[in-house]
Amino acid sequence: MLNTNYVVEMKDIKKSFGSVHAVKNGQFTLRKGEIHSLIGENGAGKSTMMKMLYGMYPFDAGEVKINGKAYESINPKSAIEAGVGMVHQEFMLVNELTVLENIILGFEPKKGLTIDFDAARKMAQQYIDQYDMDVQLDKKISQISVGEAQRVEIIKILARGAEIIILDEPTAVLTPQEARRLFEILNNLKEDGKSIVFISHKLNEVMEISDRISCMRQGQYTGTVNKTETSPAELTKMMIGREVFLNIEKKTAHQGDVVLEVKDVWTSGEKEISKIRGISFDVKAGEIVGIAGIDGNGQSELIEAIAGLRKVEKGNVILDGTDITNKTVKQIREAGLTHIPEDRNTRGLNRAFTIGENLVEVELDKAPIKKGGIINKTAIAERAEEMIKKFDIRPADGQLPTSSLSGGNAQKVVVAREVNLGGKLLIASQPTRGVDIGAIESIRSILQDVKEKGLGVLLVSAELEEIMSLSDRIIVMHEGKITGRMKADEADEERLGLLMMGGHNAEEKGEHHE
Amino acid sequence: MNKKKKIDFKSVANVLLPLILALIIGTIIILCLGESPIVAFKALIEGAFKGKLKLGTTLASFTPLLLTTTAFIIAAKAGGFNVGVEGEVFLGGITAAYIGINWTFLPKPVLLIACFAGAIVVAALWAFIPAALRMYYNVSEVCTTILMNSVALYITNYLVSGPMSAGAANAQSDPVTVTLPQIMKPSSLNVGIFIAIAVTLLTIYVLNKTSLGMKIRMVGTNPANAEFAGINPKHTFIKAMMISGAIGGIAGAIEVLGVHGYFLNNFATGLGTNGMLAALIVKNNIVTAPAIAFFIAVLKSGAMGMQQATSVPKSLVDTITAVFIIFACMELIGNFRKSKKKTDEKQA
Amino acid sequence: MELGKIFNSSLIYATFRSATPIIYAALCAAITQQADILNIGTEGIMLIGAFMAVAVSYLTGSWILGVLVAMVSGLVLAMVMAVGNIKFKSDICAIGMGINMFALAITKFLLNAWLGQSGTFMSPEIKSIPKVHIPGLSSIPVIGDIFNDWYITEWLVIVLIIVLWFVFYKTVWGLRLRAVGRMPLAAQTAGINVNAMKYQAIAISGLVGGLAGAHLSLGYSTMFVENMTSSRGFMGVAAMYFGGAHPVFTTIGCLVFGFTDSVGARLQANGVPSQLVLLMPYVVTIVVLAISMATKMSAEKKRKSSLVTH
Repeated sequence: MLNTNYVVEMKDIKKSFGSVHAVKNGQFTLRKGEIHSLIGENGAGKSTMMKMLYGMYPFDAGEVKINGKAYESINPKSAIEAGVGMVHQEFMLVNELTVLENIILGFEPKKGLTIDFDAARKMAQQYIDQYDMDVQLDKKISQISVGEAQRVEIIKILARGAEIIILDEPTAVLTPQEARRLFEILNNLKEDGKSIVFISHKLNEVMEISDRISCMRQGQYTGTVNKTETSPAELTKMMIGREVFLNIEKKTAHQGDVVLEVKDVWTSGEKEISKIRGISFDVKAGEIVGIAGIDGNGQSELIEAIAGLRKVEKGNVILDGTDITNKTVKQIREAGLTHIPEDRNTRGLNRAFTIGENLVEVELDKAPIKKGGIINKTAIAERAEEMIKKFDIRPADGQLPTSSLSGGNAQKVVVAREVNLGGKLLIASQPTRGVDIGAIESIRSILQDVKEKGLGVLLVSAELEEIMSLSDRIIVMHEGKITGRMKADEADEERLGLLMMGGHNAEEKGEHHE
Repeated sequence: MNKKKKIDFKSVANVLLPLILALIIGTIIILCLGESPIVAFKALIEGAFKGKLKLGTTLASFTPLLLTTTAFIIAAKAGGFNVGVEGEVFLGGITAAYIGINWTFLPKPVLLIACFAGAIVVAALWAFIPAALRMYYNVSEVCTTILMNSVALYITNYLVSGPMSAGAANAQSDPVTVTLPQIMKPSSLNVGIFIAIAVTLLTIYVLNKTSLGMKIRMVGTNPANAEFAGINPKHTFIKAMMISGAIGGIAGAIEVLGVHGYFLNNFATGLGTNGMLAALIVKNNIVTAPAIAFFIAVLKSGAMGMQQATSVPKSLVDTITAVFIIFACMELIGNFRKSKKKTDEKQA
Repeated sequence: MELGKIFNSSLIYATFRSATPIIYAALCAAITQQADILNIGTEGIMLIGAFMAVAVSYLTGSWILGVLVAMVSGLVLAMVMAVGNIKFKSDICAIGMGINMFALAITKFLLNAWLGQSGTFMSPEIKSIPKVHIPGLSSIPVIGDIFNDWYITEWLVIVLIIVLWFVFYKTVWGLRLRAVGRMPLAAQTAGINVNAMKYQAIAISGLVGGLAGAHLSLGYSTMFVENMTSSRGFMGVAAMYFGGAHPVFTTIGCLVFGFTDSVGARLQANGVPSQLVLLMPYVVTIVVLAISMATKMSAEKKRKSSLVTH
């Protein structure tokens, strides 16, 4: 009788992946018609908790009740039937299918042997009108924007009759303005009586949208509070266990000559909006230039073009006086480029190889790693020992494969390898994505050190806070173009957000979009 | 090296369990045929080892198999699935035969080297085609190599029945003017076996110790990372496929110069497939694969003896071997590891 | 040689006739490809179907039974591949090749041990798939020549192409199958049982592959020869790549091979060495495959280029 107003109850949940205990003690309740935020830093287990509620992972132990009914096990199908819907961090949409096909996938209306697309369209349109969502049903997913794709996801779960809606870090891919739109939709949903779980680690958003807030730390539940009775400071403490100020004091270094010059570069893009069309900027020795922008607006493509991983279709890239346009990766690296890539698991590391081998993988043709065509195992071991000590990589065994490392330590291997090379320019692309708070602190201070040593640093990050706290200058990108440039001290979130959405730019108004 | 020991139990079990399963199935079939499994297996073992001739024949059939296994593995280490080794053996063989017959102006030792060099070059170039198609146009090398095997077979078939024909009833070429010495007469075992062993040892060394080997393994396990590290994945893949082809070519040359003394039509049928099979059973472990290659050679030559001594046809051995490989491809033991590691990083 | 003897109206049927076994094989591969499973085992599934069809037709005197048993044996072999790949995580290429080797060996073995033959098996007691004779049609000059007296399975392949097109693009099952093939996680979160879909696709593929073999040994010819598929399964896989697993485009690919094959046969009759003729379909397959993949790639490159606006 106590529980009648809870639509979800999760008690004493445990979940491990092999030897990793992702959730040790998970507790969560959801009331009907509330927005309940679940917060915690990367790897705290909040997504895992909700994926278990949605049946994507089985839970090892504990009790799950949905609408008062206890579940022994859940799969996505039974979760959908129980009225649970989830918008994942990475959208669960099939690129090659149309928006409409994606919406009806799994519960298609039928007419005889065929799919009843007319009925499907009517049904989808109803949600579009009801919540004013602006979605084009006949476009393929590959042709629409991230914001639109997110709305498709929401329609998708509403159409399945979801009463309990989980959103996993929904604002990570949105500008502050787009996020506000989303919040309006969420509030409308709440007024309609839907119950919403909002996963986030951005405290200002959480303070804005939530009714209640629950927190997790390292797989442990650390408490639930009403929004009206808490403060960001208290939430930080619950998340991290201590008070942390990531805003390390910005150091100023002596700025030298230009080390990187990008001159009217054009390059291909995975999507229309990520094609780079005529970008120019430079990076000087001893400064950090930050590139802000929503994921997928061409940042990745631009970096790949500079690093020799994507063909420059027009324009030039000059590194320390050498033209490196369309040179091989090897030549570009020899010219002085070092690079922390955005995706450490596929680009940054070879997970089948050891820590030691990964640390020297860019030096296979250089002494002391190569001696007369032979790989010098002793030199690798020595290097591994040195780097493990210097960058505090754990566990401290160079013979371990990198697949056994946590996100933070794996990233440290990449950082160690690239920073140790010296060079002229360091590209750091999403350097702290998916790593724990300790590693974030150390990686950010390493970037400062690199700058102080006189390298140019080009930082790409989707985290505005990271961009603002580290950069000397900021460049904003939108749909493959630069929409704004400013000194870091002239930047504020509002202004950056506007530019990230393609808002006014005084500087490049001569151009227009096709 | 203690790292190796940990995985040993599982990989050994993953070979032994399929083997036992396959043998059980074989035993049941032999019983169904109304024969005694013990008699049949004894005949098989004797057929492979009893006497100089039989042992020599087993070793002689092991020789090309060792090379095709090695050839398949080096391509696999770079991420290629080279079904085309068989075609490379054929073309290597025909090239060696052509040079061995026609370039008589060269002194014998030089001619011998020229035969091998020709076989290596032609086979490597043949392997270049599917490798380049895969890298530059993303054409599945599985498909192209399978189809190219047929092309290679027909080309050699055409040559030995037409332009290079010795005019005999069997399609075959004239005898070559230089041969590899035979060492266990009356069997066809020849010094080619030492060449095969040397090539395999060299390949193991290259893969595990050299910079080239490490690059090949990097490209095979994660090409995106290899590219990032300044290694050209396309060139490396093509190199590995060409080395694979070259090794296949050597096998062809040994068969022509050592075993037959001329190019015999269809001589390499099954060599590529069996080499691939040996490699797949141990999941491309180049150190243990030779043992499997030897085991298959024993089965092949023993099957003949079994067919003669009992009413069990030798195609049964092929069937059992295929069952063995089907089971060996599966991770019957401990297949939890894969999915776990992937999710570790994802959850955040 | 006279070109008129090579290129005439009977070439149309000859092309279709030699393409049919490959079309069946290609459709077998296309079904699993929609679920992102490369069916390298097509060759073996087809071969076992060809053998069982002949054996059962010979022993029972019923071609229908022969075809049905062929389809079931194709299904069984396909399920071995499915379990190996889905449950026991074997590499699809590896187990596919294993299946092919197994089919080659077991058909040889059964030919020896069961039918007491080796190499080739021909008998008047093998009942072949009947032809469809439409009485009025033969009186119409060209049309009659082309369309009359087709084997039932030759008509059936056309039905199968249309049915598969309909199933892939118009039905619920097809939509789910394509979703599973392109983004399994999305399908899973939509409540679709991904593995069940894969099993179903492989099972149907096995039935079609068995039918492919039955047509080869009871329709296209009336005998069984060791390794009689001679890479037709692989050519089917190549055609499937060419057509992007779309039933109609895939069929077009197969017709190209059929055309080469038929023209080759006529060239051979005109004194071109048989081996050079026999290798033509393989070379054409590789060339067509390379061209189609290259075209796809350059289209993709163009789509991604910053110098082009869409």
